[in-house]
Amino acid sequence: MTVLTMRAIGKSFPGVRALDGVSLTVAEGEVVALLGENGAGKSTLMNILAGVFKHYEGEIEIGGRVAHIHSPKDARRHGIAMIHQELNLVPELSIADNIFLGRERAILDRKAMEARTAELLRGLGLDLSPRRLIKQCKIAERQLIEVAKALSQNVRVLVMDEPTSALADAEVRRLYTVIRDLTGHGVAVIYISHRLEELEEIADRVVVLRDGAYIGERSEVDRDELIQMMAGRPLGELFPRADGGGSGEELLKVEGLSVPGEPGSGRTPLREISLSVRAGEIVGVAGLMGAGRSELLESIFGLHRPTAGSMSLGGRPYRPRRPKGAIRRGVALVAEDRKAQSLVLGNTIAFNASLPSLGRFLRFGTVDARREHRAVERQVNELRVKTPGTRFTVGNLSGGNQQKVVLAKWLLTSPSLILMDEPTRGIDVGAKAEIHALMSSLAAGGKGVLVASSELPELLAMCDRILVLCEGRITAEFSREQRPTQEAILEAAMARQKVTTL
Amino acid sequence: MTATTEPPPPAKAPGESRLRRTFSALGAAQAYIGLVLILAVGIATKGEVFLNETNLTNAVGAFASRGILAVGVTLVILTGGIDLSVGSLLGIASMTAAMMLSKYSLEPWQIVPICMVVGGLFGFLNGAGTAWLRIQSFVMTLAMLSVVRGLDRQVSDNVSVGTQIAGPDGKLTPQAEAFQLFGTPGHNLFDRIYYPVLAFVVVCVVFHLILTKTRFGRHVYAVGGNPTAARLSGVNVTAITIAVFTLSGMLAGFAGPIDAAYSASADPQAGQSYELDAIAAAVIGGASLAGGKGTIAGTFVGALILTLLDNVLGLNAVSDNWQLVIKGLIVVVAVVLQRPDLFKFFRGGSRS
Repeated sequence: MTVLTMRAIGKSFPGVRALDGVSLTVAEGEVVALLGENGAGKSTLMNILAGVFKHYEGEIEIGGRVAHIHSPKDARRHGIAMIHQELNLVPELSIADNIFLGRERAILDRKAMEARTAELLRGLGLDLSPRRLIKQCKIAERQLIEVAKALSQNVRVLVMDEPTSALADAEVRRLYTVIRDLTGHGVAVIYISHRLEELEEIADRVVVLRDGAYIGERSEVDRDELIQMMAGRPLGELFPRADGGGSGEELLKVEGLSVPGEPGSGRTPLREISLSVRAGEIVGVAGLMGAGRSELLESIFGLHRPTAGSMSLGGRPYRPRRPKGAIRRGVALVAEDRKAQSLVLGNTIAFNASLPSLGRFLRFGTVDARREHRAVERQVNELRVKTPGTRFTVGNLSGGNQQKVVLAKWLLTSPSLILMDEPTRGIDVGAKAEIHALMSSLAAGGKGVLVASSELPELLAMCDRILVLCEGRITAEFSREQRPTQEAILEAAMARQKVTTL
Repeated sequence: MTATTEPPPPAKAPGESRLRRTFSALGAAQAYIGLVLILAVGIATKGEVFLNETNLTNAVGAFASRGILAVGVTLVILTGGIDLSVGSLLGIASMTAAMMLSKYSLEPWQIVPICMVVGGLFGFLNGAGTAWLRIQSFVMTLAMLSVVRGLDRQVSDNVSVGTQIAGPDGKLTPQAEAFQLFGTPGHNLFDRIYYPVLAFVVVCVVFHLILTKTRFGRHVYAVGGNPTAARLSGVNVTAITIAVFTLSGMLAGFAGPIDAAYSASADPQAGQSYELDAIAAAVIGGASLAGGKGTIAGTFVGALILTLLDNVLGLNAVSDNWQLVIKGLIVVVAVVLQRPDLFKFFRGGSRS
């Protein structure tokens, strides 16, 4: 039984034809995946469905009747809920308050709100108090809270825009259970994701868009074919790293490092971490949400004060007290959240890219703008950032290009050790492959790379060694020669973990 | 746009784009347009009386000390903070200047650095409270506004201190004579240059260069644009924060003697509500209170607008009360012109 039909949908932005005659039908209880590179039109199509745009071409039918959807309110009335990529939660309010935001009774019935919230959270396997403030929740938890919010309403069609981009594999499983439960109750799910391996598992049908047009659909997921459909050209090997590397000298050595957590912020304490990174080596850090992956990288970057342990870099003691000290010693951190942690979105590419390396461009105490722009331009071209120029505002670039600007910024500091936290999160396959190629060439150039990722296939393909973190401890280490499986890594990642049962 | 990136929906249909583009351009240049409008009104209504060197010099001179405050406030606003204490700091600096002159007969060139140290010290406290104690700058500088005004009144015993001090011969002392050059109307450097105007322009040029040409300037914009990204890029956010408040305080100190010389005395109430004019100048000039956006050039033009507005309205005998009303409205109009997206309301377009 068809629940949703979108017919010949079109949408133009100034200078861009974002969508052109795209049609989509979804049946009750079906999971349809939308696939396409950045700018393919997936988000535009879904934003139209969610009522974000007032004007568009084409027609939408819900349950066989024409539905006029021109505002988020219209969409809600028709039982359409969308979980946006950029989470829409109020940090200073509690989980329960957020879930009922805009639908509260005039006089709040907190008890009922909290009871219902607790029920929803339990259904998602989240062990959180409904009174917890959003700002105390991690990104992955927030994502699941968004799901809970959508579920709290009467949904017929649930749109999820990259729901797993912030989740580690175990949380993804949990989300799948939830999705299957929903479809079992007749809810239709439209699922946008860049992770092809997920679609195989969760999607009944994959619809591919490219440049705002419908390209085709498949009910069998064939990786190579789908990538070809998305890109319009064969992409070759997704993860280009060849064997070998990592025979260089020891670059970073961490011994018995302990870093306290921070109550309230949800920061995981690190306990007696020992590791090393050699020149020319790519070392991966795996672990579930809250395992301390980001905390580890941040501590090496001098953001948190350790209480015990020592580090050395290039054979000399290394005790960074703040990022500035780390940068001076040739350490770079490509942070997890590029918008919140890495970029001044309202400023230009050049401004952002030269920020940590401005010292290089000083002449008589002033910044030599010409030299700066030349250096930035060279780096930006090398990374193939698609932009009209170095004076272009970073906030207007696509996610993949923004991430490249972040990389350019750190490469301009000529680092010897590069820490990367989720370097390919939420960017399209093409940019992802380029970043992987960059990591390989950095390692080949004798730099050390320590990369944390929640995508195990990425780590397995790229890394010479993989460290597995669980609750702030290293629970396993695998070398490439051991040929670890995803299962083995997951097992280590869950070692001694109190498993939240559904 | 964390992940899939369709071009950010600029929320306009093609047919509306020309109107929008016009307003965007206005947004960028609105301060200049405002300036031209006010000049036009001035010339139209008062002609020669408005457009002559004496009048214009006096107008700018009257506003110069607030203009200098606006430069300091712009620095703070650029980092995402606010400085409400500059009016009080100017007050205590002008009092310091008058007392140094009357009690210790110090030379003018000795008085200026002392005033700047006094202002800088309180500014440093603003910065320390904001950066180290993590007090919101609005609160910290509001408290400072009160504390410093109280100190000013206490040291002066609530009596204004004149700067035209007569020696035993009945004439002005040499120091007092020299002090008049700081801005007493009719006293010019080299019989030609009115010091307040010169000081204001020099301060603007110097800080324009600092913001656009130096690493410190870059860091100021970075701290205001995204403090986390700034810190992770090796910017010492704490030091930058303390520095901008200290500089703002020093500029208030620098403006103190100008105000004292202009009024020929330091009043315990001097500088009251100047902070509002200073903030208004920055905002009219395009600074965003969210931080990271704004220029000294904009603030300069914003200050000129307020200056000439005062002058034109005064020449046309508009009462002080209406002047305040008009000033307030101009701030709102300026901010609206900087936000072309607001015009969607009038067109009934979608907001996204």
